[in-house]
Amino acid sequence: MYVIPPILIVALAALVGAIWLVYRFRKHALSPVLGAVLGVSAGVVGALMFMWPLNFCTFERERDQMDLAIGLVLIFVGTVLCLTAASNLARRVLRRERTPDSDETHPGAFQGASAKVTAAVLLLPTLVVLALFLYLPMFETFRLSTQLARLGAPRTRFICVTHFTRLFSDTNYIQSAVVSLGMAAATVFLAISLSLLIATMAYRPIRGGRIYRTLLVWPYALSPVVAGIIFKLLFNPAAGVLNHYLQLIFGFQVPWLLDRTIAPWIVILAGTWNIMGFCILVYIAALQNVPAELEEAAAIDGANAFQRFFRITFPLLSPYTFFLLVTTTTYAFFDTFGLIDNLTRGGPLKSTSTLMYQVYVVGVEGRDLGRAAAQSLVLFLFVVGLTLFQFRASRGRIVYGA
Amino acid sequence: MFRCKRLLLKVFLLAVIAVLLVPINAPINAPASAQSSCTPDSPCEIEVWIVFTDHRLDWALERANEFMARHPEYKVTITPQESYFTLLDSYALAAEQGTTPEIAQVFEVGTQFVLDAGFFKPVNQIIAGRDEILGEPVNFEDFIPVIASYYSIEGEWASVPWNTSTPILYANMNLLRQAGLDAPLPKTWQELDAACAELQPLVDNGTITGCWTMSFESWLFEQWLAQQNAELVNNGNGREGRATEVNLTSDGAIAIAQMVKDMYSKGYFVYTGVRDDFRGSVQVFSSQQAAFMINTSAAAGSVAATAAESDIEILADRMPYNADVGWTGNIIGGATMWVSDGLDPAVEDGALAFLLFFSNTENAASWHQVSGYVPVRQSAVDLLEQQGWYEENPNYLIASEQLADSQITPATRGAVLGTFSETRHLITQALENGMLTGGDVGEYMAAAEREANVLLEDYNLLFVD
Repeated sequence: MYVIPPILIVALAALVGAIWLVYRFRKHALSPVLGAVLGVSAGVVGALMFMWPLNFCTFERERDQMDLAIGLVLIFVGTVLCLTAASNLARRVLRRERTPDSDETHPGAFQGASAKVTAAVLLLPTLVVLALFLYLPMFETFRLSTQLARLGAPRTRFICVTHFTRLFSDTNYIQSAVVSLGMAAATVFLAISLSLLIATMAYRPIRGGRIYRTLLVWPYALSPVVAGIIFKLLFNPAAGVLNHYLQLIFGFQVPWLLDRTIAPWIVILAGTWNIMGFCILVYIAALQNVPAELEEAAAIDGANAFQRFFRITFPLLSPYTFFLLVTTTTYAFFDTFGLIDNLTRGGPLKSTSTLMYQVYVVGVEGRDLGRAAAQSLVLFLFVVGLTLFQFRASRGRIVYGA
Repeated sequence: MFRCKRLLLKVFLLAVIAVLLVPINAPINAPASAQSSCTPDSPCEIEVWIVFTDHRLDWALERANEFMARHPEYKVTITPQESYFTLLDSYALAAEQGTTPEIAQVFEVGTQFVLDAGFFKPVNQIIAGRDEILGEPVNFEDFIPVIASYYSIEGEWASVPWNTSTPILYANMNLLRQAGLDAPLPKTWQELDAACAELQPLVDNGTITGCWTMSFESWLFEQWLAQQNAELVNNGNGREGRATEVNLTSDGAIAIAQMVKDMYSKGYFVYTGVRDDFRGSVQVFSSQQAAFMINTSAAAGSVAATAAESDIEILADRMPYNADVGWTGNIIGGATMWVSDGLDPAVEDGALAFLLFFSNTENAASWHQVSGYVPVRQSAVDLLEQQGWYEENPNYLIASEQLADSQITPATRGAVLGTFSETRHLITQALENGMLTGGDVGEYMAAAEREANVLLEDYNLLFVD
């Protein structure tokens, strides 16, 4: 009944694991036998990590090619994860054995025999909360994503990875991913560049500076829902403030939320306006920390204002820019939901239907818990991937400290 | 001092841990001890969930007080919820924890779902042949036939009707007269199209944005489908057997999508830009940007209010139909009141007695006057006629007449399917796609049909043994 027998898959993963770790251990002059044993077990665990709960369903005969492909990817990912973890862990443990004097004690660390117990007790509340409200729901999401499940249904049915295969062949969903990515990119770029521009002007000690700064940060105090309502009042094509004055003064109206090329920009604008306060706040604080001496020195050396900004100030701000990049990306992907729900409900023609909004439509409005769980997992991986990419891409370009 | 602080810290931590370790699954609301009888001293509680938060909630609260004065052995509390969707979702979640209210207002779209989930007890079974409950008469024959046929499932009364509506046409007579038009109002799509051509000069000179508007929702599509006697799902629109296939590619369905597209591309139909935008559409009509509006009869109240404010004359007529096919009838919309399953018999009787009181002749009539919803009883219509209500407010009669004249067929009884709300989203999306893009409406409807069928198949896998 299986296309490929599970035992063969596990054996293959174990073999790959053994070869890989023996090779790694050789390279680091560690025992190859130990490497082989560790490699076999890591390979087996890696293969079973996703396939045990799924019961190797992706390799059943009645599944299609796409299911099979997802199964292979899952095994590959599981094996790579386990092997990397095993190899890193082994190297650390074995190294420590060889250098017994690496007894590092940081100042401020807990001391004494009961140190570990105290630390554990102090950590316990956080861990319990995390486990209950983060990890448990996450495992539940994994489980649900393989089920046909609806709110109020008397039963659930296991359907393997069908939700995912349907998603990958759903043009609507792919369009939604493109929309999300585009809108997030635009929001992040606009929010960061505009707030940097504003912050460079607002951080200077000018008369009434505090008032300006407070006013600039204000929009951030509004929830995306309120921001959405405000923009709806402004841009409502039929009875909005903007169209009213356009009609009055110029005698024409713009179908702000009706046009699929304009509507996403209204959402981007609203999102930018909403999150910019936060970015300005961070940049003002950051700019006040840039040592004035550097800029003075550069000025004496004959650098003009542009050179000073792009060669000195901007690189010094890079840790903050990076921080803002990560937080505004998260905002653009998740928190713009409130805006979209109020402004466009994902329309017109799904041009503002982000991945997050799709999850809501499917899971909350449609009560289709299984499909929504699968979608939210995909969204989760999407954002994790994006964040990892940001970390990778920015490595070496960030200057911490002057 | 330091020791003392450490001790305090330890005590605090222990307390935090103790709180965190309290069993989470402990029942929060243990089922109330079985009460065999309710007395004025210890009245039985009847909680009612409804979706109205405005003056309509006040109306319900008044009825609850009147009922409690008549039956002091019951205490009725009315809890408003945000929307039909949230009410049903909250109910489903409450059902998992055993904390459901005694009565809930469920919209027509949720009918199959609540039947499948087994949340409620059919009122027929509670009545069990009695002709009065605690002195409140049972006379279900009095309900308007089309309403009765919608809410009786397999010939059995499942719930008690309350707020029922049907879409009608509203016309701004001031604007029509400016364009040289007058009553009678357009009866068909074709006549509406012709009237719009006459109104075009007003659009051109900027007086109005377009000819007509509506809330862009699947409900109106379903109405036009029923008018053409076309069914939305198979097996007698899901009435004769469980629906297994959605049909969005029938001639009737395509004709509607095409009509909407044509009206939009000619600039006649004013789209607010948002699907299911009831408020937006009323706003367009009230601010005199469109001369006509097709909308639920329940909007009559607010339309009348704005008409009085801005001194415009508003006339109502029946929902225009497709003259190529003719008019069979309209479906009802709205919601009914359901009694939870598994109640103590005394509470159950109290709940039903409340609903019977709630929907009796006088209350059905006053509810109509307050809300614009259709009077659900024939006796209430008669009462209103006697009082001369319809002479003063002729617009209010249209909806009742439209329903009364409806021929009862599987199509006009309305579809029943478990995935109705999701299917609605797909329908509005397909209509919007067809309207706003140059593509063929048939293709969008076919795509929506395929998706709706997958959802329905999934649903039936979970709910059917």
